[in-house]
Amino acid sequence: MKSIRLYLLLALLATITLVNFVSLLHGYQSSMQKAQNLFDSRLESTAILIASANSRQVGQETVTNQQTPYTFFQIIDDNGQLLTRSENAPDKVLGELEQGFHIINFGSYRWRNYVYRDTVLQRWVIVAERIDIRYMLAEDVVMESLLPIVMAIPVAALIIWFAVGIGLKPLNAFASQLSERRADDLRPIELERVPKELTTVVNNTNSLLLRLAEAFDREQRFSADAAHELRTPVSVLKVHLHNLRTRLGKDDEDIILLRDGVERMGHLIEQILALYRTSPDQAAVKFEHVDLFKMVQEIIARGYDAFESKQQEIELDGESHIIEGNVFALETLISNLLNNANKYTPEKGQIHAVVRRHEEGVLLRVEDSGPGIPEDQYQRVFERFYRLHGDQHNSGVVGCGLGLTIVKHIADLHHASIQLGTSAWGHGLRVDVIFPLRAVNYA
Amino acid sequence: MLLNAVVIVLREVLEASLIISVFLALSQILNRSLKWMLLALVLGLISGFIYAGTISTVSMAFGGIGQEIVNATINILIFIALIIFVYAIPHQTNQRCRQLTVIAIMSTVILAIMREGSEVLLFITGFIGVPDLLGPVLMGGAVGAGLGVSVGVFIYYFIVNLIPRYGVWVGYLLLLLVAGSLMSQAVEFLIQADLLTSSEPVWNSSNIIDEHSVAGQLLFALLGYEATPQTSQVIAYICSMTALFCVAMFSFIKRDRN
Amino acid sequence: MRRVGLFLFLSIMVMPVLAGPPVVEIEIRDHLFFPDEVKIPANTKVKLLVKNMDPTAEEFESYELNREKVIAGNSQAFIFIGPLPAGVYPFFGEFFPKTAQGKVIAE
Repeated sequence: MKSIRLYLLLALLATITLVNFVSLLHGYQSSMQKAQNLFDSRLESTAILIASANSRQVGQETVTNQQTPYTFFQIIDDNGQLLTRSENAPDKVLGELEQGFHIINFGSYRWRNYVYRDTVLQRWVIVAERIDIRYMLAEDVVMESLLPIVMAIPVAALIIWFAVGIGLKPLNAFASQLSERRADDLRPIELERVPKELTTVVNNTNSLLLRLAEAFDREQRFSADAAHELRTPVSVLKVHLHNLRTRLGKDDEDIILLRDGVERMGHLIEQILALYRTSPDQAAVKFEHVDLFKMVQEIIARGYDAFESKQQEIELDGESHIIEGNVFALETLISNLLNNANKYTPEKGQIHAVVRRHEEGVLLRVEDSGPGIPEDQYQRVFERFYRLHGDQHNSGVVGCGLGLTIVKHIADLHHASIQLGTSAWGHGLRVDVIFPLRAVNYA
Repeated sequence: MLLNAVVIVLREVLEASLIISVFLALSQILNRSLKWMLLALVLGLISGFIYAGTISTVSMAFGGIGQEIVNATINILIFIALIIFVYAIPHQTNQRCRQLTVIAIMSTVILAIMREGSEVLLFITGFIGVPDLLGPVLMGGAVGAGLGVSVGVFIYYFIVNLIPRYGVWVGYLLLLLVAGSLMSQAVEFLIQADLLTSSEPVWNSSNIIDEHSVAGQLLFALLGYEATPQTSQVIAYICSMTALFCVAMFSFIKRDRN
Repeated sequence: MRRVGLFLFLSIMVMPVLAGPPVVEIEIRDHLFFPDEVKIPANTKVKLLVKNMDPTAEEFESYELNREKVIAGNSQAFIFIGPLPAGVYPFFGEFFPKTAQGKVIAE
């Protein structure tokens, strides 16, 4: 059963049809029986009428008055001799001479006849009527009363369809509220009128949503607080490490490893904080006009040392485009993409950034000549702490698996879409972020 | 005339709607491809029209037994579609079996509507020249069709709402009965055409349930009841049921093994 | 299943060779059978030739004979019956059952 509405329509209609039509047939049969009784009693009175009207007539002649072709009469004496008859009547006795109703075949029709014993003149009067005509007349009358029952079915279908539709409206409203809301919208569902049958469903869904919202909130607050609390000890650690280095005066191997570890921890904490701050449900984000091209240019300039140290060739194409966005968030997005390109592209590789007009808005593209990401992993790389090849990450690059998650969050915040693909070099990663022009109106 | 029209149309529609509703319920295909169903319905009606229009030519073919041969062939083809259907239905994960299911259902719907529809059409079109009777006949036809389709709807939802625990078995039981009645009728046509030899009736139950009676007509539509069946009819009835049952079991066992 | 098909096929092949059983004619006029009583010899196969003179179609049907055959308007059809034990076998026209009635008497 896929549709309640269709089920109700068909089941109700089938019930109505069955009940109505069976009673229709019953009505038809009893009406027809009544009509036959009526015809029979008329036939009987006609026979008596003919008997009394022909009381003096003895001659053996045919009566040629206006007889309908559907009825005939015969008058027969006790010897079975035909005394008189209507013109269309058979010239001999058909069937039994016994008072009452009989059925005979004559002139390729079946006739209902009434045999009347005229006790005064000692003779038989037979009146007959064609059965098919009787049925037709009776049916004509009965039909008129049955037609509305049949005609009512399509009307009932229409009414049921709309009535059931109205009855199911709260359910549809509930369903559309559920399906239209964004994945992170955990506010309780509000319906104008909640029918009794839906109350439990709505209440349970809402309490579920509430608990889910609380759980999300707790989780986010915890990671943000934890990251924030860790920031200070890491800074302190960095200072002490710096002091230690100056005191020892040389770069000991252990010291370098220690420094890298602290750097990594610091990076992770910053990323977690960025993740929290750029979550789309952080509604209080300030939007302003940003020149995307200029911003990319600045970030490349700022991080030029990193590219230089790996002897990578970086190129920026395109032209100035103003979009509506949050400066901090967009900077994080761009530097995450460029950082990734820098990290995963081998030495002497190429990186290409583009900012240009796209049919749906403004396109920011970053592609590299690195190893890229297999297509079946495109969805997973946006998950938190997910890293390609898991722990056996063979690039030997430091990372925490949050970079692309943050990029996704920021893109969502700006209603931008992200597409991953293969770069122009045929093996590297290409990331396209398309900022819709409509984004201006969102602000 | 009305009652007569009701009986004739109801009997034909009931036979077709029984097969179609069981098929649809077991395959749940109605929700998957309604347009295929509509196509099959239209094709069935067109074939019914053609068959009704050429009935006298068909009748006189093969030395006057063309009608029996066509009717027997239709019944046998529906039976084959039934076999294919019960074979394919447990393997819906297999693309080829899904196609087979659709083909079996389509051909069954087309054939059933063609056969039953042609009789209804012949009956009703005969009255076009008789305006006095056309009204009652059309109304009787509408009543008969309404009753037949309503029963089909009930059977469909009955099976669907019982699925998966008991519905499948009810559906298969109905299919077995349909198969038996189809093949017993096919044999009857072949006897009528003098292609199979006729014999003494195996039993005569006309004094228990007369075929003229309402109960007899209903039992005929549901199980292909005959008051005086021939030996070959009984054999065909039992054999076709057994064959269908075995194919169904084989198919289920094959699926469970995989 | 396959055997029935094979049988069907073979039967069609050998059809013309078969010698025909006696033919009895019945006419349908104004939805009545003429004659409405058909006498046939018992325990013999008989071929009924039913001629429908009406413009409307008719279905020759008999529960006792286990026969049903549609006969289009203004056309004719063959129906094989028997061999039958002696007795009365009513038949009727399903499309006009009120008028079209008759019986086969095997004796």
